[in-house]
Amino acid sequence: MAAEQRSESPPAGPAPALAVTGLAAEPVTIQSLTARGGAMLLFVNEDCPTSALAMRRLGPLCQEWASAGVSCTAVFEDPLEVAIRVARRSGWTGGVVSQAAPYQTSRAYGLLSVPTAVLVDQQGQIADRVTGWDQPAITRLIQRAAAVAGATLATPAPTEPLRKPGCSSKAALDPAIAAAMTHPDEDAMEEMFERGWTDGLPVVPPTEERVEKMLGRHARQTSLGQVPPAMGELTLERLAACAVLAGCRPAYFPVVVAAARAALDSRFNVHGQAVTTQPAGQLVVVNGPVRHELGMNSGMGVLGPGNRANLTIGRALRLMIELTGGGMPGRLDRSTLGQMGKIGFCIAEDEEVSPWPPLHVDRGFAPEQSVVTLIGSDAPLSISDHRSRTPEDLAYVLAWAAASTWSTNWWPLSEPEVYIICPEHAEMFRAHGWTKDRLRDYMFEAVHKPAKDLRRGETTPYVHRSDPDAQIHKWASPAEIILVVAGGEAGRYSAVLGPCTGMGSQIVSAEVEPR
Amino acid sequence: MTGYVSPFDDRARPEQPLADRPPQLCGLRVTLLDIRKNRGAEFLDRIETLLQSAGAVTSRQTKEIFSRPAALDLIDNIARVSDAVVEALAD
Repeated sequence: MAAEQRSESPPAGPAPALAVTGLAAEPVTIQSLTARGGAMLLFVNEDCPTSALAMRRLGPLCQEWASAGVSCTAVFEDPLEVAIRVARRSGWTGGVVSQAAPYQTSRAYGLLSVPTAVLVDQQGQIADRVTGWDQPAITRLIQRAAAVAGATLATPAPTEPLRKPGCSSKAALDPAIAAAMTHPDEDAMEEMFERGWTDGLPVVPPTEERVEKMLGRHARQTSLGQVPPAMGELTLERLAACAVLAGCRPAYFPVVVAAARAALDSRFNVHGQAVTTQPAGQLVVVNGPVRHELGMNSGMGVLGPGNRANLTIGRALRLMIELTGGGMPGRLDRSTLGQMGKIGFCIAEDEEVSPWPPLHVDRGFAPEQSVVTLIGSDAPLSISDHRSRTPEDLAYVLAWAAASTWSTNWWPLSEPEVYIICPEHAEMFRAHGWTKDRLRDYMFEAVHKPAKDLRRGETTPYVHRSDPDAQIHKWASPAEIILVVAGGEAGRYSAVLGPCTGMGSQIVSAEVEPR
Repeated sequence: MTGYVSPFDDRARPEQPLADRPPQLCGLRVTLLDIRKNRGAEFLDRIETLLQSAGAVTSRQTKEIFSRPAALDLIDNIARVSDAVVEALAD
């Protein structure tokens, strides 16, 4: 439907009646606003930068004008909650009223754009009108207001920009477009930021109804323990709130619960990971039938965006640490750089493509069990190898890619380091009958240097104690190399994730219990 | 007003006031706690020398690992035998 064609009304005639909602119980009328002299109405909406400019410039003067007999009211084309918040942030000291779609008051005043300032005299007649931000015209309007009130009124300092065009009034929009711009949850999302219930991205507000659906059969007040570093009590209700905030579907909740149980296992030492200056995030690897039940991604782009279950399960765990546990970056989380995996880092293993037993079977679970495994990890480092024609060459390339993880000369690493082996690389090892252990052993043996070559900058006490010609391996043992198969079927890119070092942090797995 | 479920543990926790600062070091029993961060011991060695020259009686304790909270019995023991404690962060 085409927008209604209207032209701006001339600045004359009686001021139309107001159909607005204010803070007080009493209705806001032209008569009440002009009772002490005159009234300035400033039509604005939240989305318009010029509205914000006008409110910032005029807002601090409103109280003084009111004392002189000229009331000053911001007429928002937004819900009242939004109006109050925007007015507070812009330093507006006048009145605030709100109008709902179809913005009857804006229509009655013939608005095409905001901001529009309208001066009404004590007889209820429109005495002046300024559209957009026009400093000379606004000064003229204020001088007329002063004449109406018989007082001197302050005018805003002439600061650039002196003129700035306004934005479309919502009353001038096609009704369908206007409705689409007013999302019922929009203000609730802003409220989440004001409450601090976010990792910096928009979240889903955890209403009672959503949390109830997330919990399913789980008892609200059951506690899974205390979440470091601030030791917040993790009731299932709070965990469900984190899952809602993260955007999880209720079907994901059992996986979130399992991840939380694993994270709170003291062997994982989430306390150290949560507060360290390291960039450590918590990699969640999901194995077993639940991967398919939830439609998780173990294939193309597995380490990146695109799959709701992967992204929101990992994010729910992080929100648990940040909100319930108080491990918010910049506060108790002292990570120097952080990394994107700290927003959320969850993948599924491609067990069907893998030539090897999956991670959860390596860790003692049955193939038919659904299991999450948590590993403290740095960000992924991609390893390109499209040219190796033997498993030995490929294993050598993969192994040496890890040489600079954590630090170039910090050898040996005594913590688990995860490799994501892509399907084409995995196929090379399958075709030549290489087991996981054979690959791990080969990689371990491939990467070593004499101690004397590692004695620059940061290195380990072990290197300092060793004979200068002693060969130091990158890893303390082959067991530190964790192999997980995932990724798109085409392309020869695997990845290695540096470890979380020095935390005494072990890999922990937990079974996913049925919903 | 929409009802939301808070992800925070909103229990009020009483603020723990800092202990009174000792007016002087002479004769004070000071425990130096090494949390096992790299080179923390070197830092404590220097602090210990300065404390001893000021007349303090020093002793050393060590945490199991820097990345976990100290064991409660270690904290209790330090509180029992010390007038003050210096904990070394390092790197």
